Amino acid sequence: MSAPNPASTGLFINGQRETGQDVRVGNVTAALAVANIVKTSLGPVGLDKMLVDDIGDVLITNDGATILKSLEVEHPAARVLVDLAKLQDQEVGDGTTSVVIIASELLRRGNDLVKNGIHPTTIISGYRMALKAAVSYIKKEMVVNVSELGDDHLINAAKTSMSSKIIGKETDFFSRLAVDAVKSVKMNATAADVAGYDAMGSGGGGGAERLAESASATAAGGTTAGGTKQRYKYPLSAIHILKAHGKSSMESNLIDGGFAINAMRAAQGMPTFVEMSMDGTPVKIAMLDMNLQRHRMGMGVQVIVKDPAEIENIKRREMDITKERIRKIIDAGARVVLTTKGVDDLCMKYFVEAGIICARRCNREDLKRLAKATGGRVVTTMADMEGNETFDAECLGGCDSVREVRIGDGEMLYVYGCRGHGASTIVLRGANEYMLDEMDRALHDSLCVVKRMLESNTLVPGGGAAEAALSVYLDDYATTIETREQMVIQEYADALLVIPKTLAVNAAKDASELVARLRSVHAKGQHSEDMVDYGLKFMGLDLIEGTIRDNLAAGVVEPAISKIKSLRFATEAAITILRIDDRISLNK
Amino acid sequence: MASIIQHPPAMSRPANGETLQERSKGRDVRTSNIVAAKAVASAIRTSLGPRGMDKLMQLPSGEVLISNDGATILSRMNVLHPAAKMLVECSVSQDIEAGDGTTSVVVLAGALLDACSGLLAKGIHPAAIASSFYNAAEACTTVLTSRALPVDMNDRESLINAVRTCLSSKVVSQDSDLLAPLAVDSVLGILGPNPGSATNVDLRDIRMVEQLGGTVDDTELVHGLVFDKGSTKTAGGPGKIDNAKIALLQGGGGVGGGIEMENASPRERRNLTTHFNNLTDTLNAHSRFCLSAPKTDMDNSVVVSDYAAMDRILRDERKYILNMCKKIKKCGANVVLIQKSILRDAYNELSLHFLAKMGILVVTDVERTDVEFVCRTLGCTPVPHVDSLSPEKLGSADHVGDVVLPGSGHKVVKFVGVANPGRTMTVLLRGSNDLVLAEANRSIHDAQCVVRSLVKERHLIAGGGAAETEASLRLRELSMETTGMDSHCFRAYADALEVIPYTLAENAGLKPIEIVTELRKAHAEGNVGAGIDVKDGCISDMYAKNVIQPLLVTTSAIKLATETVCMILKVDDLVVVA
Repeated sequence: MSAPNPASTGLFINGQRETGQDVRVGNVTAALAVANIVKTSLGPVGLDKMLVDDIGDVLITNDGATILKSLEVEHPAARVLVDLAKLQDQEVGDGTTSVVIIASELLRRGNDLVKNGIHPTTIISGYRMALKAAVSYIKKEMVVNVSELGDDHLINAAKTSMSSKIIGKETDFFSRLAVDAVKSVKMNATAADVAGYDAMGSGGGGGAERLAESASATAAGGTTAGGTKQRYKYPLSAIHILKAHGKSSMESNLIDGGFAINAMRAAQGMPTFVEMSMDGTPVKIAMLDMNLQRHRMGMGVQVIVKDPAEIENIKRREMDITKERIRKIIDAGARVVLTTKGVDDLCMKYFVEAGIICARRCNREDLKRLAKATGGRVVTTMADMEGNETFDAECLGGCDSVREVRIGDGEMLYVYGCRGHGASTIVLRGANEYMLDEMDRALHDSLCVVKRMLESNTLVPGGGAAEAALSVYLDDYATTIETREQMVIQEYADALLVIPKTLAVNAAKDASELVARLRSVHAKGQHSEDMVDYGLKFMGLDLIEGTIRDNLAAGVVEPAISKIKSLRFATEAAITILRIDDRISLNK
Repeated sequence: MASIIQHPPAMSRPANGETLQERSKGRDVRTSNIVAAKAVASAIRTSLGPRGMDKLMQLPSGEVLISNDGATILSRMNVLHPAAKMLVECSVSQDIEAGDGTTSVVVLAGALLDACSGLLAKGIHPAAIASSFYNAAEACTTVLTSRALPVDMNDRESLINAVRTCLSSKVVSQDSDLLAPLAVDSVLGILGPNPGSATNVDLRDIRMVEQLGGTVDDTELVHGLVFDKGSTKTAGGPGKIDNAKIALLQGGGGVGGGIEMENASPRERRNLTTHFNNLTDTLNAHSRFCLSAPKTDMDNSVVVSDYAAMDRILRDERKYILNMCKKIKKCGANVVLIQKSILRDAYNELSLHFLAKMGILVVTDVERTDVEFVCRTLGCTPVPHVDSLSPEKLGSADHVGDVVLPGSGHKVVKFVGVANPGRTMTVLLRGSNDLVLAEANRSIHDAQCVVRSLVKERHLIAGGGAAETEASLRLRELSMETTGMDSHCFRAYADALEVIPYTLAENAGLKPIEIVTELRKAHAEGNVGAGIDVKDGCISDMYAKNVIQPLLVTTSAIKLATETVCMILKVDDLVVVA
């Protein structure tokens, strides 16, 4: 094929061009290089990466998406894999490393097939066939329906997800934390959400199952086809994660129904604690998105005074405008005032006198969440329908008590017993910043997993069980295909084994032997008619002991949806790269 | 003339008018042009057909583009050679004319140029080749037109099949079950009540809204309008409205404002300083509809001379905005769209607050370029000033609301059940990454162009190389019946046409020689629909397999390729003017 020399291609462009096998090899090499970076961090005994950027910031992580995101990969084909990890992170939240490893293995095998003279288009259609068969097999055979999901399963899934992470040593503690946190934000799903969920559940073709990541659009409930059953959703955005430096990670805690905001009292004279009165009137919180500083006239307004005495008047008036506003807020019954903007020190005294906790420069997003949690509204302006200024008491949120708590080096405002929708805060503690960041990422993955489980109610065994079963199944399936795609499907089947292999290698076990045993067990299970062997398809790796075991019973489980999606994403990414046979880079 | 045909390696050139005695320079220039243009054609050859491969392009900006669309690849490739540029242009014009077949046109031109170099080597005069090629193209068009099947615009099924053929080569081909009907419906939707009578269609009436997240098969067709962002909820406010009455406010257009300001005499300015209550009205006369506090011009300023004035300014500002909001409410609007303004804030927190309190849904920052589309869709008239607001200027929709997109959590505002359906359509595109999204957009555009070609020229012809093979065969027959230069060039032209089935077969990993000869045989036996079935790797009837494409795509490709080639042929000197 042509060399990457513009003269020899005869194409007069201002840049380089590579075609055919050269491009494919180049793309596959780049993709493999990316996958090799994250390979060793797969699994419960995977290791972490330390990334140091050019200004010396350190990042220690085990999370595939985070590693790849920080790498600043330049090769376009490798970037497809980075995007893949990002997509998996957004859509599923977990399994970012495995999706990249599977995609790169598919690419490597695809490239070998091309070298052996199989046309790329055959490989692409073979991969598609294999994916389709694999997905339907998972749905039909591997999925375990857990109609009334017990906490055990949730905790197991959370444990599986975090077992590879830095908090893997304290899975008992953190999995409970994650499950409690997700459950605390349970909300009734709306009809639209349920529709979204149904589309997901019935999704046979082309990846119809997708879930809203962050906020709301996904509903939950059983896969039972009733639809009338009340379903729930679990918006993860309602879970607020705060990181505080110091103490051990085991001191992390969940404030159920509470909210913590990273802000401190604006003045020392304010109380550190307010609580509801004896008759049960909640503590009123005002959330403002406006300035409580001395009022200044807008642009285009000049102040020209003839009488020097007027200066004083104008100055005083400027103060008074703000003062009147504060008075109105206080009169409306607010006992805690939080604003995203500034508060003048002069104005502070009105709050101090009224015994009100006031915090300035709060995060706007945090305030919005707090508003939701306490049933209040963020107020942007005090104008009313008559053109005057009033403060509407309905905008106030309610809670049981607010306390300023000293955590580590800083102070935080804890809001307990919020009166609105579910909200909860997890305060993470840890020895250093890196650890806190990594804990945050690990916990986020687990929260996503728990959310998926609660919403879809289905799970598959982990620890390489699903991959091994699929591999055996696809091998059999390939023999039923009479066209050229047969070879490709076999390669796809082999490619899936990369997951148990990598898991075993990372655990320093004999990968070849373990995987061979795993495959033979699955083959026995699938080929036997005997009901006794039914459970064999749940056999997966026990990486600590270096044996195989029933991973369903051992509680190594993950949401079915994430398995299906990662297969789909990985295959799509591999196909995108395999389809490329020409690379043109233009010069500046 | 006959001697040429009898002795093809014509070293002995008969000295009559149809042979060429030329300067060596002319030949060099022509050869170099042909080589350069052929290089372009060979560069995108592998993207042809359903099993075509993609190109990965790294643009100077660092942006990455993965595409299979000939016009897109070529226009971004930035070729330097002038003759190569002509080929690029040719692909672009095919994109404009037919929208599809942009790769085929270039591949065809490349093959024709190849044929030319053979003919030129025999010493045939370029002008003679050119005129014969024109005739050949004419003959092909006639043949194809006679073979084409007429299609009725109400026959949705055949339209979908044509679109599916077009989509089969794209990255999004696995979603063609969803996208093909979507593309057809979107174009049929804007044809109006009587699709049979339309002769052209403006694809700009279909708005494509790209939203990252989800996958391509979440793409949907909206009979109405979708904005690429959610409603503005800084001040709370409703997220959905039923039976919406929609007002489109045109803020800060800026036209004419300057002149009026100059008319503000010094006396008027003095007035400003004293009469605060007049201030707002006076200033407002000079600016467009903005739901924000009036601002003075650079030359003018409001002068405050005592503290009581400060309160008045504040109160007037509130009153002024409140009044505007009240007028909006009074005329019955419950959804307000605000055009983006560059001169003044088109809205401020205060106005959003009032509108929220009145239960009016607000969408801000509507692009100026979108205003016309919005008006056509919703049936509203843009309102430049609060006084010109009246109920008949409002548009309506059954339902307006924020929709959270699955996969990204991003919100968009959707307007459904609009008053006058049939004039505009919106396609809400989804995709898991920017590359896929952009390619999906291009593919749907191509698909819509296919439908548009059918609106222009209501005939369908078999795809899969069937049309080209048929034309080639008939042309070859014609060459037997004619004499002279035409006959010779027709044969070369006929051979060149076979590049399409040849390349299709090659890209699909089939044996091209076998397939093309088989195809020729089938056509010679009178099977006009025979084409390459890429999926099964054999020859079959394309009409039966529903692999059909608009006649316009094929004929326009043949015409454009021929004209480009003739133009390149006629160039015999390249003068670089520094």
